[in-house]
Amino acid sequence: MIRFNNVHKWFKDLHVLKGVNLEVTQGEVVVVCGPSGSGKSTLIRTVNQLETINEGEIWVDGVNVTDPKTNLNALRAEVGFVFQHFNLYPHLSVLENITLSPIKVKGMDKVAAEKQAINLLEKVGLAHKKDAFPSQLSGGQQQRVAIARGLAMEPRVMLFDEPTSALDPEMIGEVLKVMKDLAESGMTMMVVTHEMGFAREVADRVVFVDHGEIIEQAHPESFFTNPQHDRAKQFLRQLLTPMN
Amino acid sequence: MRFTKRLLTTAVIASAVAAPAMAEGTLDKIKESGVIVLGHRDASIPFSYLADGQTPVGYSHDLQLKVVEAVKKQLKMPNLQVRYNLVTSQTRIPLVQNGTVDLECGSTTNNLERQKQVAFSVGIFEIGTRLLTSKTSGVKDFPDLKGKNVVTTAGTTSERLLKAMNAEKQMGMNIISAKDHGESFLMLESGRAVAFMMDDALLYGELAKAKNPAAWVVTGKPQSFEIYGCMLRKDDPAFKKVVDDAIKATYKSGEINKIYSKWFTSPVPPKGLNLNFPMSDELKELVAKPTDKSAEQM
Amino acid sequence: MNYNWDWNVFFKSTGIGSEIYLDWFISGLGWTIAVALVAWIVALIIGSILGVMRTLPNKAAASFAAGYVELFRNVPLLVQLFVWYFLVPDYLPEQTQIWFKQELAPTTSAYISVVVCLALFTAARVCEQVRTGIQALPKGQSAAALAVGFNQAQMYRHVLLPQAFRIIIPPLTSEFLNIFKNSSVASLIGLMELLAQTKQTAEFTANMFEAFTLATIIYFVLNMSLMGLMSWVERKVRVPGMMGGAK
Repeated sequence: MIRFNNVHKWFKDLHVLKGVNLEVTQGEVVVVCGPSGSGKSTLIRTVNQLETINEGEIWVDGVNVTDPKTNLNALRAEVGFVFQHFNLYPHLSVLENITLSPIKVKGMDKVAAEKQAINLLEKVGLAHKKDAFPSQLSGGQQQRVAIARGLAMEPRVMLFDEPTSALDPEMIGEVLKVMKDLAESGMTMMVVTHEMGFAREVADRVVFVDHGEIIEQAHPESFFTNPQHDRAKQFLRQLLTPMN
Repeated sequence: MRFTKRLLTTAVIASAVAAPAMAEGTLDKIKESGVIVLGHRDASIPFSYLADGQTPVGYSHDLQLKVVEAVKKQLKMPNLQVRYNLVTSQTRIPLVQNGTVDLECGSTTNNLERQKQVAFSVGIFEIGTRLLTSKTSGVKDFPDLKGKNVVTTAGTTSERLLKAMNAEKQMGMNIISAKDHGESFLMLESGRAVAFMMDDALLYGELAKAKNPAAWVVTGKPQSFEIYGCMLRKDDPAFKKVVDDAIKATYKSGEINKIYSKWFTSPVPPKGLNLNFPMSDELKELVAKPTDKSAEQM
Repeated sequence: MNYNWDWNVFFKSTGIGSEIYLDWFISGLGWTIAVALVAWIVALIIGSILGVMRTLPNKAAASFAAGYVELFRNVPLLVQLFVWYFLVPDYLPEQTQIWFKQELAPTTSAYISVVVCLALFTAARVCEQVRTGIQALPKGQSAAALAVGFNQAQMYRHVLLPQAFRIIIPPLTSEFLNIFKNSSVASLIGLMELLAQTKQTAEFTANMFEAFTLATIIYFVLNMSLMGLMSWVERKVRVPGMMGGAK
């Protein structure tokens, strides 16, 4: 579904992606983790070209997204993206946040779009908030709306860029629950996160990134119990016992 | 409306504050302060204007200086100081009223509305309102203006006359009201208007400034006459007498002819233009029989 | 000061037909509104387009808009008016020139010139406000819009501009008031708007304090109404949690 072929990216002199090769298959849930500054957020943003790359190729569902001839808008419509800071449209109600792109990009009629939005809101448990504005919701609620907004385009892939990092701890669970339900429904997902509980329980594979390279990838069980690489070991140690 | 009331109160208070104790006459004030303040214009050529950017010159100004001489003699103050104060058409009346300016001589028409606010000296000039047009325009007199674009300067008697004529005789003229005489002439020169109606003396002034004076002509039967006067405060007979006598004496001695030809039939500063505007019969009449009445009262 | 107050002056005949001086003020106010309102609408459209251009990744578009702003903001308004009224018509094709200068009623050609002048001048100012509004938005907003497949035009139309305009309503209000004040330049090319009619009344009646007091009141009431209108608009589009909105 997603394939990275020797992807390189520089921010001026800084080499942030150093020849990444990775494949995510249909229905698979891949968690990308790594220390901050490792390039994992940049990596996920290259999938729908919110970040461009300097070398290599990225294929999504058989389309080469790095080809200048590719219609990026059409591609992006097929790839859901959930941001760390939600990025809901503050001037629109919850319902309008979800229906805007189906109506304007896909040309869906308003009634159908609203019906679909209410279905999605029920799935994320927020149907009663459909007329609220984003600022009237908690962080966790905003992120669930953002997920519903992504799903409204009926994407083939969902990308999550640290979806719980900006949340208060008591709200993380409600968001992870929605993501877990989504994974169980068979959605192809690529998730950048530090939530190792989620990775362990939901992911099919864990990819460990450091200094712009994939250091290790493995089934979650073996990654957590028996990491191969020293840097992965150190990362996990710091994550699990941060005080030491 | 409460706001309106407050605004009016403010306006009244402001004017009261601005008013010095004017119980005394102008002559007393001049004597006390040792200074006479003369109001002048910056660009009323050739009546009162700044030729070098500092001190005023002009026909009206020369008469104003005659008055200053008379005041010196009357008050026995040979060293009386003269201070100049520039006025515009908007400020000239209030500045005379509130005591800032003692005597304004420029190109101010004596009319009934103004007589309610200030007093006028005997007339110092008489104009007729006529037309400036190009020699090839075919316009000879006012009836030729039917359906044409005509320019005049905003806020002048000519504007009012032109609008009234248009309404009464249904001439279908398009009347352009330009900001000042210079701009009115620009409207004429740039082809936006076929004729420019204004005081004849001012038309000769604009004509003299034109790139090609020979292309233009002043024409048409005067639609009105206006008498210019010097302005002073109302109800001050002592000062008015000094002013009137000084001007009358200049008329009687014939010195007025010298002053007239200096400004209207000879080159005048700053550019050495010659207006070539001979003295009209109306002005000759005024000089022979000076009056402080306005033209409409005659 | 021995000033002769006469508040009845507005009801006196001007000597032209059956007009009274109050009629001059009403007609002046009409022209002021007609000039300012039309110029404002045009300025808002052009200014918004330019403001968007300034934030585009396309360098040519951005520098065109920047150049426009520099030019129109730095040349005095009076000079611009003279250019539009006296200079530009001389470079029109001959037929158009005759039409504009002679066949068109002088008031109409003056009106066109002053509306064009004020609209283009104010557009430069609106442009800067729109640009500021767009740049004040969090980067995540454009990323979110692109991520759902919006093209650039849709992103501006549905996501960026609705937010930017809400932010800049206060500075736009002051531009809106400014265009009414600036409309008094119209009198310089013979369009008798409110200030010109006031000066003319003062000149003809010699009751200048009354004339300018009335003009002050009219301008004051006009400004108050415009401010009321804009704050009504602001309330109407207010969204909870955005600038000035209640939580």
